[in-house]
Amino acid sequence: MKNVITVKEVTKVYNPDTIPVHALRGVDLEIGQGEFTALVGPSGSGKTTLLNIIGGLDNATEGSVIINDQDIEKLSDSQIIEFRKQHIGFVFQAYNLIPVLTAKENVEFVMLLQGASQAARDARVKELMNAVGLSEHLDRRPSQLSGGQQQRVAVARALASKPRFVLADEPTANLDSKSTADLLDIMSQLNQEENITFLFSTHDQRVIDRARRVVMLEDGAVISDDTKM
Amino acid sequence: MFNTMIIKIAWRNIWRNKIRSLTVVGSIVIGVWALTFMMAFYDGFVTMYISSAVENDLSHIQIHNPEFVDEKEVKYTIDDYTELIKVLSSDNDILSFASRSLNNGMIANSKGSRGCDIRGIVPIDEAKLTRLDKKIVEGNYFDLTKKKNPIVIGKKLADKMKLKVKSKVVLTFQKTDGELISAAFKVIGIYKCTNSIFEEINLFVQQKDLGRLLEDDQMIHEIALLLKDVKQLDTVQAALASKFPQNLVENYKEISPDVNLYESQMGVITYIFIIIIMFALIFGIINAMLMAILERTRELGMLMSIGMNRMKLFLMIVFETVFIGLIAAPLGLLFGHFTVLYFSKVGIDMTEALEKVGLNEILYPTLNVESYFTITVSVVITAILGAFYPAYKAIRLKPVEAINKI
Ligand SMILES: Nc1ncnc2c1ncn2[C@@H]1O[C@H](COP(=O)(O)OP(=O)(O)OP(=O)(O)O)[C@@H](O)[C@H]1O
Ligand SMILES: [Mg+2]
Repeated sequence: MKNVITVKEVTKVYNPDTIPVHALRGVDLEIGQGEFTALVGPSGSGKTTLLNIIGGLDNATEGSVIINDQDIEKLSDSQIIEFRKQHIGFVFQAYNLIPVLTAKENVEFVMLLQGASQAARDARVKELMNAVGLSEHLDRRPSQLSGGQQQRVAVARALASKPRFVLADEPTANLDSKSTADLLDIMSQLNQEENITFLFSTHDQRVIDRARRVVMLEDGAVISDDTKM
Repeated sequence: MFNTMIIKIAWRNIWRNKIRSLTVVGSIVIGVWALTFMMAFYDGFVTMYISSAVENDLSHIQIHNPEFVDEKEVKYTIDDYTELIKVLSSDNDILSFASRSLNNGMIANSKGSRGCDIRGIVPIDEAKLTRLDKKIVEGNYFDLTKKKNPIVIGKKLADKMKLKVKSKVVLTFQKTDGELISAAFKVIGIYKCTNSIFEEINLFVQQKDLGRLLEDDQMIHEIALLLKDVKQLDTVQAALASKFPQNLVENYKEISPDVNLYESQMGVITYIFIIIIMFALIFGIINAMLMAILERTRELGMLMSIGMNRMKLFLMIVFETVFIGLIAAPLGLLFGHFTVLYFSKVGIDMTEALEKVGLNEILYPTLNVESYFTITVSVVITAILGAFYPAYKAIRLKPVEAINKI
């Protein structure tokens, strides 16, 4: 199986000049095409830090992150923005959506950034909003949607640009258990039917149960890596 | 395309914090309103100043023998006078004109003597052209039935020489051949005008008296004329100049450098007004936009994370500010327009305020279409400039830090 993400000996030290915090201490990780992987570990173990580095939002202190045969640590600021736009979908814990745009416009947004045609956008928006079960709510603003619905729109938005993979940092942290279950249903369905790669962090045992691979971090290092059969 | 999306977001962002946006809109409206009024007021003031100078003194066009302008000698009279008068009388663009005999001389009484400019006028024509008859403050204007050698002198001169109505004076002046002659005149009126130096030096006699004394009743040195419409100034001036090339035909701007200065400075003053007001507004805009950016830090981080580049982010913030300006500018212009319209109907009484300057008139603010355009463009430029710093702040944000911001 081809790797989508290869993390090699990544370390991250915050505040190296004052009070150094070793957030990651030599992490190696390979994520293959079509994986559905949860990143778990106690608070402060480095989950967010690792996801940020994989997503090109932050730089590693040492080591490399290879995506698409490209070491993203070596890209310039503007190249990395372009790279994120083309290859990575993001779902954050909150504040995912642009509040002044409707659900449909939010989903289209990245496609517009990519310069997709009107027809292509319409087709994709319809398909994705169907997939996340919100085809009825195309014209609602985020404030008119529940937290769970907003996260589903965020998943649709993340997928709109046909990224190589989707990164999600605690996407269910602000959701009740029903919404959590719905969101996971959608994510795993997209994963199985469309072979979309998901890498997400979570504290929630119910979410962990749904993952097919669980990577556990502790104190900035991978301490276990289990793939369910 | 994507830019329409940026515009859409920028536009809708304005309405997220209505109070803040309306505060900015409000201050721009007030600024533009004040600016509109100030510009119209100044414009009206200059118009008033110029028209007062034109109506009381300069007229629109003056014709001289060019030698006379340089040498001031009596022998340099206007060339082809009779023909010139014919042309002026039949020209439909001309409202009125008056001929003058000018002579440097002395005025004397028992107390002493001083130099003066003697203006030999045709009373009816002069009254029509410069309203000299309306400026008489003591005694009377020239009257056809009255006796020999009446004279009208300025208030200032009267004060200096302790002259009153009915005082007798002796004028001494040159004939064409250089010989001096003297004659007795009787003060029949004292005039007051806006310019006290003019008042001190210039005195008026009837041209026919002067002609008789000089033994030449066509000794005309100056013809001044008013047009029906100032817009015809250049055309009429050019036509007269080409028809009578021996004479010097000048317009009021050429004759009076200070009127010319006022007119040309109008543009500069306007820009100074604009800069002052816009400078005040720009701080309000910067402040409001910085607050907006602070409020939306996480959202901006998210936008950068999902691939919105700095250029687009920058544009988005600039657009938002420009939209605020574009909402406010027309409102301010509208208020300004109606205020100017109102005062241009009723006028602003400047009698007390401007008495010292010698202008005692009603001021009518005026504004041309060009100014409305200038103001709008200035507001947009100000908005863009005001957006720069906040937008710069926004694009300096690091996505991770922005997202993690509480
Ligand atoms: N910007 C920062 N500056 C300094 N230290 C930081 C910064 N961000 C994270 N850290 C530290 O790095 C370590 C890893 O943090 P990280 O946020 O990656 O943990 P996490 O596993 O996501 O925790 P949680 O489950 O609470 O979200 C922690 O010790 C944290 O205090
Ligand atoms: Mg975290």
